[in-house]
Amino acid sequence: MDAATPKLGRVNAAYALSAAIVILFNTLISCVKDAHVPLKAFMASLTGKDWTTQGLADVILFALLGAILSNTGLPEKIGPKRLICFLTAAVVIAGTGLFAWYALY
Amino acid sequence: MNVTNSDVILLAHATFGALGALAALWVFVETLNAQERNAARTRKGALLVAACMVAAWILGGYWYVHFYPADKAIILKGPWPFAHELFMETKEHLFFLTLILSFYLTIASREKLYANSSARKMVLWVSMLVVLSGLAVEGFGAIVNHGAEVALKAAVKGGR
Repeated sequence: MDAATPKLGRVNAAYALSAAIVILFNTLISCVKDAHVPLKAFMASLTGKDWTTQGLADVILFALLGAILSNTGLPEKIGPKRLICFLTAAVVIAGTGLFAWYALY
Repeated sequence: MNVTNSDVILLAHATFGALGALAALWVFVETLNAQERNAARTRKGALLVAACMVAAWILGGYWYVHFYPADKAIILKGPWPFAHELFMETKEHLFFLTLILSFYLTIASREKLYANSSARKMVLWVSMLVVLSGLAVEGFGAIVNHGAEVALKAAVKGGR
């Protein structure tokens, strides 16, 4: 790879997409488990604490999704600029979303 | 001097979080000056970020499960209940963003950053996001700590 071909590597692009998806998933599950008590109870029953289950689920999902996406051409088709924008937007939306959820809920 | 296990674990948790954010800043600076000769150093920096965040996660998780319920009860009875309801709740879930980003940083930094401008930009963005989200989590932790402090002060004042 050289400066003339500024594409991200296949694995790099796949895990960038995986990270963005997991970051959004994390915020979504944080909100849903608070609004839906049976889900929170189920998550707590798996490891003793819903927070612990959520963290492990995030890490496992990130690893699995990255591995799966690495075997597809999808992340490379998106392009590096869009991947950077998507990942950054995911972090901003997820972060402000979490804060807003706990401020309003 | 009475230093409990809870104190040691909590302070180690905050320290590893701060070290992780500092290491991410180191990765950012190395990437700004990406050359073949600092490529290995950048990768090591990224590994250090992930290692610090994992240590902060395990220590913080252990403290949160075993020791925080007592602090939480104190905070909720004090004048700053939002220290738990807003800042602790946000912090404990926001941390996972930092953790996932730090894992991804180890992967992104494996590219030849000195030869690939896109990979370089990605590492710059991700490392800065780790720094900013890490600092936000640290700041929220300070607010939670202060929430417990003002609750204890109020309790002492009320007891007089």
